[in-house]
Parts: sequence; structure tokens; C-alpha cells
Amino acid sequence: MKGLLRKIYLEIHWPVLYFSLGLATIMWLLTALLPKVLGDVHRVFDKIPFVKPLITALLGMDPGDEFSAEMMQAFLWVHPTVLSLTWAQALMYCTRMPAAEIDRGSVDFLLGLPVSRWKLYVSEAIGCVLSGAVILLVGLTGHLMAASSLQPDMRPGWFALFGILSNLMAMYLAVCGLTFLISANSDRRGRAIGIMFAILLASFLLNFLAQFWDPAKAVSFLSIMEYYRPAVVIKSGSFPWQDVAVLAVITVVTWTTGGVIFKMRSICTV
Amino acid sequence: MLAIETRELTKGYGSRRGVDQVTLSVGAGEIFGFLGPNGAGKSTTIRLLLGFLKASSGKAEIFGQDCWTDTATIKHDVGYVAGDVRLYPWLTARRAFQIVSEIRGQNIQPNGLQLAERFQLEPDLPVRKMSRGNRQKVALVLALAHRPRLVILDEPTSGLDPLMQDTLADCLRELADDGHTVFFSSHTLNEVESLCDRVAVVKGGRIVADEILATMKSRAPRAVTITFAAEEIAASVEVPEFATLLRRLGNDIQLQLTGSAADLTRWASALPITDISIGQPNLETLFREFYETTVQLVEQQP
Repeated sequence: MKGLLRKIYLEIHWPVLYFSLGLATIMWLLTALLPKVLGDVHRVFDKIPFVKPLITALLGMDPGDEFSAEMMQAFLWVHPTVLSLTWAQALMYCTRMPAAEIDRGSVDFLLGLPVSRWKLYVSEAIGCVLSGAVILLVGLTGHLMAASSLQPDMRPGWFALFGILSNLMAMYLAVCGLTFLISANSDRRGRAIGIMFAILLASFLLNFLAQFWDPAKAVSFLSIMEYYRPAVVIKSGSFPWQDVAVLAVITVVTWTTGGVIFKMRSICTV
Repeated sequence: MLAIETRELTKGYGSRRGVDQVTLSVGAGEIFGFLGPNGAGKSTTIRLLLGFLKASSGKAEIFGQDCWTDTATIKHDVGYVAGDVRLYPWLTARRAFQIVSEIRGQNIQPNGLQLAERFQLEPDLPVRKMSRGNRQKVALVLALAHRPRLVILDEPTSGLDPLMQDTLADCLRELADDGHTVFFSSHTLNEVESLCDRVAVVKGGRIVADEILATMKSRAPRAVTITFAAEEIAASVEVPEFATLLRRLGNDIQLQLTGSAADLTRWASALPITDISIGQPNLETLFREFYETTVQLVEQQP
């Protein structure tokens, strides 16, 4: 396992560093701009009508007129740039093995070594969890650095932050599990990324439409974003056990299915 | 114990057969050549042996263990080089030694560096800066560094210059002398002829010949040139059934000998000849015949 983890580290340390710094910078900027945005938010809603439904969709609940400093904290964690970076990391990482390995042909080298396919798959999952945790923690650091200069009532509560980060990590892992499943079925990395991108886009749109369209609301449970609601965490002040549990089940089922497929399939690079 | 054993190994891709009823056995210490034209099924057979592909039917074993279910265990004793070597752009030979050592649980660094020196490979050059030949060398060094009981090489000399081909041949001979088994595929007859104890020929996914090289050589046709005392004799002489006339040229006739040299000399001694030369057995002609015969047989099938 040590050799496999070393290989993963050598392969991903630069991308993980870039994603981490990117997320930290975004979180720092968004947090620093928070007071200004909060002051202008109602004027923006009046001027650009679709912004409020968009934010409502991202937050996963309608905050009504309570766009408080606390609620804006939630918005930081559902900002499209933050979600894009997190998902991009999940897609880039989880399509490396086996899709990209088969696509590139380097899987022949890996499978020529005395290591089972399960062990390979598990080592990739370990790398996935660790790299995700690093990226989110560095992102959090960016947020905390900017938050230290905010008014005390605008600073996030530690419990709420822990709940949101756990929820975000659970969503990241669910996206990873699904991406591993697609990757295990694919010989082409581009195809695997394309399929996952389409799934995430559909998930995002479904969550958006569910705010105003009842038929979409009826099937909104299919959207992965339905289970990531920082605004609810902040408003209720409780840990999002239910959402995290659903995301954990999605992760376990999709990841395990991907592993079984990878173990059983023939691998052809020529 | 046999190093490799397959029984009626078959792998289909939809309606197409990759390999069909391949039965092979390779003993320990043998250098076994697996010959065939492009697309004949050599790489598919190797990928079945390495557990990359799951067989549609039949069985494949290495050292008595199943190639699909016990593939990870088997590979402790196997070194493998793919036909088209693709490695990670960031990988250097030295880093690869470290990673492979940790995975194999065996320090391959000293032996790896020795082999790298032998193959004139720079251990700290990343793969992205390497030529195709150097990438091939990295793969070869990694396959040989742990001194595996069985080396499986898929067209290993492609991309190597003649000197490196010789170095590889020396390494393989040394391994075989120490009782290790070498199984390699090729479509280059010279390397098979210079290295192998035994050869199997695969065509259209089927084994069409599996023989000791010496036996095969004894059946291979030889080029014969006979010079007669007069041009008229050369022009009119009837060629015996154990030879095929290639051409008549002045006082000379050129034949392809398919029978024994004894028959030829007996036949020629009764004629007014001034010179006779018999060439080495020509394996290439034999293999061409193998392929063409197989093609004809396939074409004749309803």
C-alpha cells in the first residue's frame, strides 16, 4: 500500500496544492467581501430578479427577507466557484484510476505489479479522502483568515462551520463515489468526466428548478445538492446528520459498485 | 512444475475471437518464443496470462495458480513488459525503483541501478523527456530487477537499438541459465532464432505450430545453388520432388530444398555438376508457409 500511496502522492501533489490555494483564495475573497455584499444585497435583488431564486436554489431553502450576516456565511459555502473547485477536484482525481490509466495505457504497468485490483482501488480512495480533506481545510483557512477582520456578529460559529464542512466533505465524497463508479466502467477519461459533468449539471438544475416547479420538486431527492444545505445547518444550529447519512450511503454504494466492476472487468488498452 | 500452462484458452470480443482454444505449456528454465503476425492474438494471450483479461473459456495457470483469481500472488514471481510501454510522465527510473520496491516488499534498487547502467539508462531522467527506446529500457529494467522466476515480454525489442537488443538477449540468457523462464512474443524471426529453445506460432488466434526450435529448423527449407558443367544441362535438368525450382540462370539452378540434404547430394552426384552450395535452414520461409497455409485453410472452410 505504501508504494501505491507514494505513487498517488507524486501524481497529485501539485494539482491538490493548486486546488487548495485556489479554494483558499476564493474563500478569503468571498469572506472579505461579505460586509459589502450584505449591504448591497437587497438592491441587487431588486435590480436583477433571478439572483434571489439562484441564491435560494444554492442555499437549498428560501431565506425570505432574512438575508442576515449569518445566512450570508452559508452562501459562501455554496458559491458556484467553491462548488466548481470541489467538484473539479473530485472529477479530476477519481477519473485517474482506472479510466485515465486505461486511456493512457499505464494500467499495464500497475497491473503488472503484485497488487490486487481492490488494493489499487482502496489506495485511490484513501488518496481521494486525504486530498479532499486537505483542500477543504486549506479553503477553511482562507475563510478564517478573512473572517478574523469581520465584525464579531459576522464571524462563523465553530459548530456551524464544523457541520457545514462535514456536509461539504460528505457531498465531495458522494461525488467521488459516483465518479469512481463511472470511471470503473470507462476506458476513456474524457468520457468519464463528460458523464459526471452532465450528472452534476443535471443535479444543479434539478435543485434550482425544484424551488419554483412542483414536478421538479417531486424528484428533487435525486439531486445530490438536495443533501447539502449549509443554510439549514446555520439556521437550525444542529448537525446535518440526515443529509450526511444519505450522502454516506450514496458514497458507499457507488464506490463499492465501482470497485466490484473494476475487479471483474477485462482491461484492454490496445 | 510448469511455468505456464493454458488449456483451450479462448477469449472473444463479441463475435470476434481474440484467441481460440490456445493450449500451451512452458517448462521452467525455457526461453519460449511466441510468434505471429500483427493481430494474431499474441498480446491477447499475454493479457490473459497476466489477468488483465478474463477468459471466455478455458484455463490459464502460472506456476500452478489461476491467472485470473490468483493474479496478484502470481505477479510476485513475474516480470512483465507491455508491447507498447506507457508510463507516467513524472516517473524516473529511480522513483520507479522506490515505488516498485515498496509494492513488491523487496529492495530492487541495487539490482535496478545495475541493470540501468547495463542498459545505459539515466536513472533520474523523467519519462516525459525520454525517447521510446529509453521508456522501453525503463520497463525492461523494472521487469527484470527483482529477478522474477518468469519474465513475460510482449515484443520487447521494439524501439531498442541493435546493441541494446544484444544486451537484452544476454540478460535473458543469463536468467534462463539460472533456471528462470522467459516467455516472449515477437514477429522478428532473428531474435527468436537466436534466443529460443521452443517456439509456438499463432495465427488468427490459434496455435498453428508448437515445436522445439531445432526440430523446426530441420524442417525449414534451405536455399540451394547447383552449378552444372554446361548451360544446356542446367536448362533441361528435372528437379526432384524434395525441392522446388526457384530459377535457372546460365549454368546455375537455384532450388529450395524441402527434403533432406542426403537426398539432394545423392541426386546431384549422378549429374555433371561442378559446384553445389546448401544454405542455412530458412525459418522465414517456413513461417511464411505457416501463415499462408493457415490463410488458405481458413479460406477453404465453408
